[in-house]
Order: sequence, then structure tokens, then C-alpha cells
Amino acid sequence: MNDMEANANKKPLTLVEVIDGGPLKITGNILLKDLKKDINDNPPEVFLCRCGRSGNKPYCDESHKK
Amino acid sequence: MERDKKSFSGGRKYKNNDITVYWKPDACVHASYCYRELIEVFDPGRRPWVDMNGADTERIIEVVNMCPTEALTWKWNDEEKNIDVSLNQTNHVRFRRPELLGSNENLVQENPVSVKIMVDGPIVIKGDFTFQYSGNKKEVKEGIISLCRCGASNHLPFCDGMHRKIGFEDK
Repeated sequence: MNDMEANANKKPLTLVEVIDGGPLKITGNILLKDLKKDINDNPPEVFLCRCGRSGNKPYCDESHKK
Repeated sequence: MERDKKSFSGGRKYKNNDITVYWKPDACVHASYCYRELIEVFDPGRRPWVDMNGADTERIIEVVNMCPTEALTWKWNDEEKNIDVSLNQTNHVRFRRPELLGSNENLVQENPVSVKIMVDGPIVIKGDFTFQYSGNKKEVKEGIISLCRCGASNHLPFCDGMHRKIGFEDK
């Protein structure tokens, strides 16, 4: 019989979610690279700008609401 | 019959706050690194022979990694940390006894999904992932999608090249 303790903490697959009227939400296991800026990261969760107006690209800064 | 919580199939396990060390006696070839390096933790003359309070976690991992067999292996108690383990952690259960990671291991993604922010262009996502947008949900397998970042695409959420026409610049 296997040790089943690990079952309590399962890791979901990566989810890429377009939020209507909002940013792109990505959760899971990702490697984020920005070819213009010095970003090379593996955040567990990230919100990326889709409206083009963020002052903190590539991240969302809620500018889409303005 | 209730199983002894300290035992697992083929051996015993020992925990501190950070890690669990697994002992599989059948696999031992008596190379003796464990007690020669760290008798405070691994003392064959003591019962129980492993005392997880005998050294700090870093040192215990270092010595378990010296074991040439799968007699001694270890994993983090925080399962998230067991997903991306460096190859030089030779005796992590991932490399020696992956069955100890549990049956959900097939859900764990080995290769991270690549998310690339193109210069003044779209977000290009490559790999295995679930893609969800306006009520649609689909599993992408070894796929690639390109998503609009300028807000001007006529084919949202996808990129259609409009960023070049409007002169989108990522400052």
C-alpha cells in the first residue's frame, strides 16, 4: 500500500483564465518571461494586463476599470 | 487493523517540522555514510535509530543524499515543495521512490507552462494547460495560444496583429 498522505495536497494543472472585462489570470506551474523587461519568474498566480493601459505592464494594475 | 502511523510499506518514516525521512531496510548495503557522517541522527545502536532532532534539516538532507541506495530517502512535508526538486537532491523520493509522492502524482505537471510577453506584442502561452474564456473551457495539450495585450484586437481574447497597427508600446 502506498503512503497516501500526499493526497491531501494535490497540485492542480495550470489554469489560464480570461476574466471578462479584466486581466488574464494564470495559476499553476508557469515560467513567465518578458522579452522586453527583465522578468523571468515562476509565480504561483499572476494577473496580466489585457487592456493595454496598465502602468505596470505586463501586470494588471486595475487601469481597465478607469 | 489500524496501521502504525510511523510505518509505511517496506519500512519506517521519521519526521521533523520540515521533512520526512523514509527508511527501507531491505535496500541498505551498509555503505555506512549515514552514521559515519551524522551519528547524532543516525545511530544504529539506538532505538529508534533515527532521531530527527539530532541535527538541522539542511544537514539531515545532505546526509540522506549521500546514501547510495534507496534505503534512505526524504521529502518535504509541504507537498508544493516536492514538485520542483533540483536533480542534485539525489535521494529525494521523486528520484528514488516516486511511489511515496502519492497517487496524485500523475496530476502534477513536470514541465512548467511557458508564458512569454512578446516585445510590444501579445502574450504567448505554450504547453499543457486549461484555457478558460467567456464560458468556454478547454484542455490544451502541447498547444500554443497568443492573447491580445493591447486591447485593440478584433478577435478577443486572441491577438490578431492589431498591436502593430495602433503602435502599441509597452513602456
